Amino acid sequence: MLAKDFFTNRYQELGWAYHPVEVRQAIRINAINNSKCSLINRLESKGIGLEKIPFLENGYWITKSKFSVGATPEYLLGMYSIQEAAAQIPATLFADIKGKTVLDACAAPGGKTVQLADIMENTGAIIVLDIDKQRLTALSNQLERCRVKNSIIYQMDARQASTLNVKFSRVLLDVPCSGNFATDKQWFHRRTIKDVQRNAALQREVLAEAANTIEDDGEIVYSTCSLEPEEDELNIDWAIKSFDLQTEKVRIAYGERGVTEVFGKKLDDSIENCVRIWPGETQGFFVCKLRRRLGR
Amino acid sequence: MKQISDFARRFGAEISLDESLIVTRQNRYFLINEDLKKLLSKAFFYAGTYLGRLKNDVFFPSFNLTRMIAESQANKTIVDERTEWLFICGRDIFKRGITKVIGSKKKGDLTLILNRHGECLGFGEISHNLDEEREGLAIRNILDIGDFLRREK
Repeated sequence: MLAKDFFTNRYQELGWAYHPVEVRQAIRINAINNSKCSLINRLESKGIGLEKIPFLENGYWITKSKFSVGATPEYLLGMYSIQEAAAQIPATLFADIKGKTVLDACAAPGGKTVQLADIMENTGAIIVLDIDKQRLTALSNQLERCRVKNSIIYQMDARQASTLNVKFSRVLLDVPCSGNFATDKQWFHRRTIKDVQRNAALQREVLAEAANTIEDDGEIVYSTCSLEPEEDELNIDWAIKSFDLQTEKVRIAYGERGVTEVFGKKLDDSIENCVRIWPGETQGFFVCKLRRRLGR
Repeated sequence: MKQISDFARRFGAEISLDESLIVTRQNRYFLINEDLKKLLSKAFFYAGTYLGRLKNDVFFPSFNLTRMIAESQANKTIVDERTEWLFICGRDIFKRGITKVIGSKKKGDLTLILNRHGECLGFGEISHNLDEEREGLAIRNILDIGDFLRREK
């Protein structure tokens, strides 16, 4: 069986019929660096067409532009970031995050770190980890461009986060994953189920470390841009059965509930609190919110 | 820190930063706050607000620092929209693109370059006295925000 058939048959079993998609380019306004209205006026006066993304407060799709939106003075001044629409969801899911100590465990290239800082209005602290020094340099450039003031970056594997001896009240786990065909035209040729299984195992190690570093009643947001349930619902099912974690409903008016039966295996009913996004206007995505139970 | 205040003085500006909140890592300077100070351990890669780096005894400022200097009384040159675009592409500034000069107009002095919204785009060195009736090259580009794109290459 061709790899493409193998994966698309799985998607069919999970309830989605494969079809090619064109992901729309999106930006996110960095609200602390400017007023939203005046930025929109400035971009529109340059001939950049914008359409509000209905499920995001500061997200806009680019409908037209004669030049790269990554080279305008407004971009270079940190007034907005180029960030795919679904990827803008995870950072918005934390409750009451201002002033908190937050872990961004697999942070590069830093789009979500900047978004967290924006939501936090540069208060509190974001501890930012990534293992790859080159990616950390790119991340640092993003933080400088977007005027982020409340972060500390360490070159560190997320699986070693507990060595920092810090308890976090919020943890963002945008874990390394297998990706999906919507943003990689060669995806079906490059990926095998073994890659998926390897990534799923790594993600469990990162989840376990997060469970180790989160405060009681703290929140973890877990996300991937993988469509494969091994990296999504199955990992969350494992996490809630292995640690004192429970899912919370992801409140976003987009996507579908997490699947609770995967290839014949019944998962915990609370997995439907997660959101699975099949590719369309956005890339494929999965996001889940977990809370550490009190009084462990 | 001396390097930072000396750099600001080249724009005719005085900035005062709390030295107890300035940390260095591999010749790079960062301004942190009390929240970050409590959490910072020695092996950090980046922290708080990046201010600049020292290389061979020469101080290279960050855009955070130029923005901080621009918020104080300093030499500033405001340019029109076309010149803004050319400047961030790495080009020098011609007299006809300048709409206003604040502070020094003297050849050899440094001046911050601002767009019509008052946003700092970088800085340059004045090439000839700006109050002279003379067209042509006026400010030589030293650093501009297009550097963010050039760094990625």
